[in-house]
Amino acid sequence: MILPMTIGFLLFSVYPIIWVIQWSLFNYNGFSEPIFLGLENFIRVFTRDPSYWSALGNTFLIAGLKMLIEIPMALILAVVLNGKLRGSAMFRVVYFLPSVFSIAVVGLIFSILFSAYNGIVNAVLWETNLIGKNISWFGDKGHAMFVIILVSLWTTFGLNMIYFLMGLQNIPKALYECASIDGASPLRQFFSITLPLVAPILQLVLMLSVLGTMKMTDLILVLTNGGPGGTTEVVMTYIFKYFFAYGDNAARDVQFGYASAMSVVTAVILGIVTLIYLRISRRMQSIDE
Amino acid sequence: MKKFGSIAGKTAIYIILILIAIFALFPVVYILLGSFKSNKEILVGGVELLPKAWLFTNYEQAWNLADFGRLTYNSIFYALMVVLGSIVASITAGYVFARGKTKFTKIVNTMVLCSLFISIGTLSLYPQLRLAKVFGLNESLWGPIIIRVFGMNATQVFIATGFVRQISPEIDEAAQIDGCGFFKIFWRMIFPLCKPLIATTGLMAFRTAWSDYLLPYVFTIADRTKWPLVVGVVSLKSSGEAVSSWNLMLAGISISILPMLVVYLFLNRYFIAGLTEGSVKG
Repeated sequence: MILPMTIGFLLFSVYPIIWVIQWSLFNYNGFSEPIFLGLENFIRVFTRDPSYWSALGNTFLIAGLKMLIEIPMALILAVVLNGKLRGSAMFRVVYFLPSVFSIAVVGLIFSILFSAYNGIVNAVLWETNLIGKNISWFGDKGHAMFVIILVSLWTTFGLNMIYFLMGLQNIPKALYECASIDGASPLRQFFSITLPLVAPILQLVLMLSVLGTMKMTDLILVLTNGGPGGTTEVVMTYIFKYFFAYGDNAARDVQFGYASAMSVVTAVILGIVTLIYLRISRRMQSIDE
Repeated sequence: MKKFGSIAGKTAIYIILILIAIFALFPVVYILLGSFKSNKEILVGGVELLPKAWLFTNYEQAWNLADFGRLTYNSIFYALMVVLGSIVASITAGYVFARGKTKFTKIVNTMVLCSLFISIGTLSLYPQLRLAKVFGLNESLWGPIIIRVFGMNATQVFIATGFVRQISPEIDEAAQIDGCGFFKIFWRMIFPLCKPLIATTGLMAFRTAWSDYLLPYVFTIADRTKWPLVVGVVSLKSSGEAVSSWNLMLAGISISILPMLVVYLFLNRYFIAGLTEGSVKG
């Protein structure tokens, strides 16, 4: 009964990995005869392709900055909405709303909002006299990065808030009652009860958030397409463009062999990040105990 | 004094909550309202949210000129197929993994769980496309449908396995005594008991399929009559006539987000459950 799905799984999830590993050793563009290169592609990634490493750097930068803002924000919102606040159910529904839309369409929406000449963001800043001339949001790396982080924050803060809420609801109310009888302030309660008890959820959210950001593709393709001048390229989009001709950069040749080699390197790096993360969080847990 | 402080604190909290709510809602509201503006009004920009005159011509034009009717039909077809397929596939997988005791099912289950961690995301698209070419599936939406349905979405399988485990095995045993086989137990007993699971799985699959961009993009790029909505809408941004088609773009975005919005407003409970369950239980 499970057989069709096992075959599907092997074909669509396992086979691509094998394919990528195999072709990473060749010079191959789909048309010409593949030439065996050995490890040449890997040497190229490590020594002759600074663009790949800057794309990887961007990926870590986005993931890091986003995490710094998003995690505290989601946690605080969850704590506030977990209280007996009128309308908290409504706020939950509203905050979660952005998570249901297509990431590609979200990218499009924000590229309209931040459009240089007729975008509403510039218009509002202009009317409130905060800027003297229109900001070209996608014209330089700094501004473009700001928009990218803002948009990816918009799409996931609600989801992470819901994760935290689920963690909070598992904390027994009696703990807080005891604490307030003992005279602990709300702030003290937060650090001594809430934070340690949501720690497992926190670890999970952190990992999902970092891995999710590392795999970000659609948003960048639609929002900046790596521009201006490839400065906001992230690792997935950078490799993607060696597999497929996409958008304005369509002129670039596809190089499957090299793209495969970069995929392998990226998969290994992602794996290492996950492993290090699991190691650290396990050590943190053992200190707690 | 203390009371005053708590009122002030509460007001401050509400102000912050409302500001964040505006942050969450504003882009969507702006696009929906903007889709009724004339192209000229959109191009001039400005801070007005409401259109000067409410025009429905954008939708008419998008529907007729930019062929959004076709795109919408494709999206509905794609989403429907993925939803139906995923429901059957994930519940079947859940049943087999929860009840199957052979070595084979255990190995497959472990492999699927591993795929949660070892994956190359978007980068497997190209090999998938090559593979689809072998079966002649590379130029229609059937390729993406088959990948979505049979590719075993680890999260969905995981939720389904957990759900079937909760169904008491005694039900199976009772049915077995009455002479039902493995398949019959599944169709007659397990499937009907999985109604809540069907709701969440179906919704998740609907969201995935309706929002899908790169997967259908690489499969149907050559033939615009097969594009789903998202691919069509995004293509307006990079197409040459971008300046003249802002109004179409806004109308197109609205057409693509409205169904999601409506479904979410009515079923947000299931949405939230579906998106969180799979990951948190892990």
